[in-house]
Amino acid sequence: MAPNSQFSAELRVFEQHRDEWSRSHPGDFVVIQGDEIADGFFGNYADALRAGLQRFGVRKEFLVKQVWLTEPVYCIS
Amino acid sequence: MGSVHLKWSPLDLTDPGPIIEVTVMNSPDVLSAWRTDGLECPAPVRMKALLDTGASVTVISKVYANYCKLLQTSEGSKVTAIGAEHHCWEHAGAISFPGTDLRPFESIRIRSVVFEKEPYYAILIGRDILRNWTITFDGRHRLVTIVD
Repeated sequence: MAPNSQFSAELRVFEQHRDEWSRSHPGDFVVIQGDEIADGFFGNYADALRAGLQRFGVRKEFLVKQVWLTEPVYCIS
Repeated sequence: MGSVHLKWSPLDLTDPGPIIEVTVMNSPDVLSAWRTDGLECPAPVRMKALLDTGASVTVISKVYANYCKLLQTSEGSKVTAIGAEHHCWEHAGAISFPGTDLRPFESIRIRSVVFEKEPYYAILIGRDILRNWTITFDGRHRLVTIVD
């Protein structure tokens, strides 16, 4: 997590569930704002974004996070 | 089915690769939510994009991500470029291809990184988008063709 992360609360919630979620829903997306988790897992980013907008609105940002046990490092050559 | 032809010469050793004009903006879902809340929506921003088969994901310059006011949805992931790891942020965005009939990509995840030098292009079109296209390169005629 980056220092002074604007998603620090959400990422802390995610870390509390990472092991469990990565076993039950690897590769799916979750949506979190503060310590509140949107219902369900989402098979793609667009569906997760839409669910986040419906649940939390757009006034305050929410975390859309793909569930992996280990965070991938993306290659951009 | 849309298509576009791009002129590109591989002979220039300083040329990073084929470039396409794109328009980057927030996803329609985000714009709709902003409008509903009476918030002002930022205008789409036109920029140059590099078609980059070496990029596993689409990555925009952090400067441009801020300029486009892309909704940030995560942070803390990493990208590696020539062995060096860089912090990246994640945003919801939409990418379209003005002047072509290629299908736009709406509500996609776009990573942003701090570009060490602001190059000729502002965004790398990575394999998350490229995988949706058939791309051919005719070296003799210096022509890249994209069909979606």
